[in-house]
Order: sequence, then C-alpha cells, then structure tokens
Amino acid sequence: MSRLQSSINTASADFRLNEAHNRRLVAEFRAKQEAARHSRPQRDLDRLARQQKMPQRKRIEMLLDPGTPFLELSSLAANMAYGGESPSASSIVGIGMVSGREVMIRADDPTVKGGAWYPLTVKKIVRALDIAMENRLPVVHLCDSAGGFLQLQSELFPDRYMGGRIFRNQSLLSKMGVKQLALVFGHCTAGGAYIPGLSDYSVIVRGTGAVFLGGPPLVKAATGEDVTVEELGGAEMHTSVSGTCDYPADSEEHAIEIGRDIVSQWDRLPRWEAQREAPEEPFYDPAEIYGIVPDDIKKAFDMREIIARIVDGSRFHEYKPNYGTTLVCGFANIWGFKVGILANNGVLFNDSSIKGAHFIELCNQNNTPLVFLQNITGYMVGREYERRGITKDGAKMIMAQSCSRVPKFTVMCNGSFGAGNYGMCGRAFDGRFLFSWPNHQIGVMGGDQAANTLAEVKANQMKRNGGTVDQSAIDQLWEETRKAYQEQLSAYHSTSELWDDGIIDPLDTRNALGVAISASLNAPLGPPGYGVFRF
Amino acid sequence: MVLKLDLGGSVHHVTILARRPHLVLSVDGRRHVVQDLDEASDGRRQLTLDGKLIAFARAGSADGAIVRLDGRSFALHRRDAAEASAAGGGANVVRAPMPGTVVMVHKRVGDKVQRGETVVTIESMKLQMKLDAPRDGEIAEIAAHEGEGFDKDAVLARLAAPAEG
Repeated sequence: MSRLQSSINTASADFRLNEAHNRRLVAEFRAKQEAARHSRPQRDLDRLARQQKMPQRKRIEMLLDPGTPFLELSSLAANMAYGGESPSASSIVGIGMVSGREVMIRADDPTVKGGAWYPLTVKKIVRALDIAMENRLPVVHLCDSAGGFLQLQSELFPDRYMGGRIFRNQSLLSKMGVKQLALVFGHCTAGGAYIPGLSDYSVIVRGTGAVFLGGPPLVKAATGEDVTVEELGGAEMHTSVSGTCDYPADSEEHAIEIGRDIVSQWDRLPRWEAQREAPEEPFYDPAEIYGIVPDDIKKAFDMREIIARIVDGSRFHEYKPNYGTTLVCGFANIWGFKVGILANNGVLFNDSSIKGAHFIELCNQNNTPLVFLQNITGYMVGREYERRGITKDGAKMIMAQSCSRVPKFTVMCNGSFGAGNYGMCGRAFDGRFLFSWPNHQIGVMGGDQAANTLAEVKANQMKRNGGTVDQSAIDQLWEETRKAYQEQLSAYHSTSELWDDGIIDPLDTRNALGVAISASLNAPLGPPGYGVFRF
Repeated sequence: MVLKLDLGGSVHHVTILARRPHLVLSVDGRRHVVQDLDEASDGRRQLTLDGKLIAFARAGSADGAIVRLDGRSFALHRRDAAEASAAGGGANVVRAPMPGTVVMVHKRVGDKVQRGETVVTIESMKLQMKLDAPRDGEIAEIAAHEGEGFDKDAVLARLAAPAEG
C-alpha cells in the first residue's frame, strides 16, 4: 500500500487558525470530562469516605490489569440534562482488560444521589449491555445504586428500552454464553437487585453490600416489619442463607481480588480471524488534525488528510479514486487490523453513492470491517439529481450498509446532516461503536436552514393574515430558531442523549478504533446477504 | 488529430501518421520516422530520427515540455490544448461542479493567478468549497457575484486565452 501524500502546509495562516480553534474545543472538552469524572460535592465525597468506600474510578483501576488501556464510553452522557446533576449519567462504562480478558465494565456512581438511576443512566446501561451482546464481551458490574430515581420513574421504567431491558439483556447474554460478574459494593435495591441475581457470579462486601427488592423503609411501609439492612439483604444472609450472592468479601479490595480470580476461570470464546499485519504508527503527525479541520463547519476539507493521520504508516489503498470523488473509499490498517474506510469529501452524488454501496459489498465479501468517517451534508438535491435517481442510488448505499455482516465503526469527524447520516452508518444502523469529535454537529438540517425555512413560513403567514410583514418579528424568530437549533446540533447535546458512545479527542481516534475493532472480533460475523437493491 | 506546438513563438503542426512498427510523424507537412526512443537511468533520452541518433533531455511542464538538445533549451507549448479549452473545455474557465450560491469572489478582472489559487468560494448543500484556477493566467471575466445563485456547470470565471505568437 502506498503512503498518502499530504499537501497540508503547517505554516499557513489557515492551519494556524484552525489549530487554535480546535485546540480550544478540545481543551473545553477535556475540562468538561474532568469535571464529570471527578468534581463532586464535598458532602458526597465525605459520606463515601465515612462508609469506607473507594471512589468508583479507584475500584475500576484496581479491577483492570495494570498497564492496560481502558476505553471509557459516553463520559459526557447527561451533561446537558437534569441541570447537570448527573455527571456521566451517574454511571461509568468502558472496555478494559481483566485477568487477560477483554470485558465490558459497568459501574454505578454512589457519589450522585446514592447511585440512583436517572432515565439516561438506564439508557447508558442498556447501551453497555447491547455492546456486550453485539461483541460478546463478558460484563463486570460494579453495583452501588439506590435504585431508580423515583421522581422520573415514567421516563425510566415502562417502555421497551427502559429498566426492564437491562434484565432482558442480562438474561440473553447468559443464554449466549457471555459471562457476567456482579461485585456488590453498596446497595442493589429494587430492579437493581436483579443485576447480581442475573449475573453468573456475584461477590458481596460485608457491612456495605446489600441486595433486596425493597429496603427497610419500604418493608416497614408495606408490612410494618422492622428489619435491618444486614438482616434483610446483607452479605452473610445472601451467601449462606438465600444463595442470591456467591462470595462474601471482607473489603472492597478483597471483593475485587475475588472478582479477578473468577474472571480468570472463564473460557475464552473463539475470535474470528481478521486480516492483520504488524501495527505501524501513522507517518504524519496526528496532532496536525487540529490544523486540518476548519474553524467553520461549512468549510470543506480533504478527508484523506485525516485518514493519513489515523491509519498505519499513513498507507491507503484508494478504491476507484477518479469515480464518485465526493466519497473516498479504500483499504488501510488500524493498529494492524485491515479495515475498509468510507470518508466524505463533499455531498453524496449518484456516482459516489453507487461507489459506496459497491465498496461496502467488496468489504463484506472480503471480511473487512468498515470504518465510516462522517462529514456529510446530505445526498444532492434538485431536479437533475432526482431524475438521475439520487434517491434510489442512496437507497442502494443504505441497503448495503444496513445488511453488512462485518463490524461497522463510525466517527463523526465534523457535520452529519440529513440522509447522509443514514448512508454513512449513523446511530440507527447498529454500528458496533460510534464516536464523535468535539466539533461535531448533527441534525436533520443546519441551524441557518431551519431558521430560514421557519422565517419564510412565518412571513407567508403574515402576508396571508394581514398583508404586512413585521420584519423585526421575523428577525427575532430567525435568531431564536437558529440559537435553539445550534444548541441541539452540538456534539455535547448529542452525547448527552447517548446518540454516540462518547466524544473523543481527535488524536485518540486511532486508539479508540483500535480497542473497538479488537473488541468486535469476539463476535462471529453476521449472516451474508442483502435485501432487494433498486437498480 | 493535428497537434499545434509552439516552439519559440512559431507554431508547428504535427500529425501522427502511424504508431507501429515505428512512430511516423508529419511535421509541417514533412514526414519523419522516429525509432528506438529510449531512456537511460540518469534521465537522458535518445531516439533515432530518420536514421540519425539524437541524444536529448526532457522535462514536462504544465502544457508542454522543455527539451535540452545540443547545449540549448527549447520550450514547447501545446497551442491546440489552450484553444480547445477556450472553445468550451476546462482549462480556461472556473466551472460550477453543482448548483449553489457564491460566498466570496477572491479575484478581480485583470488579476494574475497561479494554478490552484482560489478564485471563487461557493456554498452548496451547506458546504463551502473553493474553486481554483485551472492554470496560471490572467482573469478575463468574473461571472460570479456574491450572494447570487448559479446552476451546475455555470461558468463562474474565465481566464484570458494565452497570447497568440
């Protein structure tokens, strides 16, 4: 494979401008992430210390094999919800190595409302277990939760993808032979009690760990019975009387030690053999990505320059380089793993859509995982393009992409607007992982377009109703619409709602994809075949 | 097809009469046979022209070549390419790849531009794209006006045709 030739001038004014802009965005992201991870009210930290509990991140650190990476997912979930009072959606989720096995780690956060589950906490847990199912990753649950956040129960309990889905997923994981371990550090109340109940193995810490469907106050209210936490669901009772938990531990450290020993007993399911070569660092400096991505989402840039800073040796075998040039397709290696990359270099036209569909088929037949690098404003609109069948050509791409049997990974490198999001494996298309850069924006249309559309509708309304158009009212509507849209379009809103698996620093893209691709190899490929392509 | 080559200001008409077994050319009506075109590892070339061995060196340029022969350099330009594009081809115009609106016009009539320099920035489908000069030259016409729309294939700017020698 030949090396991509970069034509970036790192001394240019544009480069400097972009670099300053993107470094500012990344610093802002880092600050938000740091706060979500560590900033807690002192009284919550004091209570944790009083209970002789470790902070949740310390528990994870002890659980992981020393010196191995931990890919944290959705670190800024719920950052724009609940007035910011549920950092990381009160839950830490990520992929790491425990006793030499790739596992999904899912941890409650007792420093936020006693670890209560907000609606987005439930969404994050369900997503974590979906990832575990899709990639056959064993799960380690670190349990310490007061149960559902009752004030918002209607948003976390009744529907298909709410509370019950956690336990449905746990059951199916077990049926698939994917192991689960629950380490009970604190309370597992109400629904949360089923997490150790449905895990293959559970360890419970004496004194602080407890599992029950209803805690002492609820029991008192329901039946008048007076009972202590220890009697009702403590470590001794569950490991010697009820059998709900398997191993008592004397301390959190002890529980983690037992847990690591349990994981080391697990058989390793076979991984599928992906094409792999010796990994090689990119030839071009990944830090130059900051100077390449423009300071304005509307400005175009050459995605090959990004590819050159993500893939091994900056080597890229470009497929059909002169055809459908607004979609760059080709083969490369990431951390040694062979991948097929689809990257946007402009609007999707008929030829680029067909090229994309064709390339996806080639990758499926070649057992090559797909990586989508999104910067897409949509499929081309207009009479000429409709007459040429832009809709049916876009449909081919969506069909090929949806029915792919190889794992898919998406990185939101910049804009993601309109149906282009679909063809390029947006969230709805079950990519194994989807990461966003801090500059990412997503929406059915841009803020300006939405404001223009609404302003025009409003003006027409005024004309119909009275004849005169109040321009200041129109301007106000335009500005308000644009502002509201702009907020909703931002990567922070997107990640808050768990439309992705987390914002990442663009420089971490290569590593995040490396962990994600490796994790995906635990699951066998899906069945081959597609639906009916419209020709 | 007749190739028009500009050599030191005078135009020569070249026609390929045959490619096999030897390259046979008509240059201004005179027939020549070219054989054994060969390139040495150091970049020097040689060929046999009408039975006579000639050694030379050659470097490509944007629209022709520079040939070093007998201690002198000769600049060759393809005159026909420029004419062809002036009649509607790509080399003299900045053309819209898709419908859209003009965001910014960077050059004015009379400005000298180099190949790859941005002449117009357009916006289409929420994406801004820079349209560059296809070759070195002088701006003869700007048909793009900021804020105005255009159709696919519209000519947004035109370069002056190279002066006839």
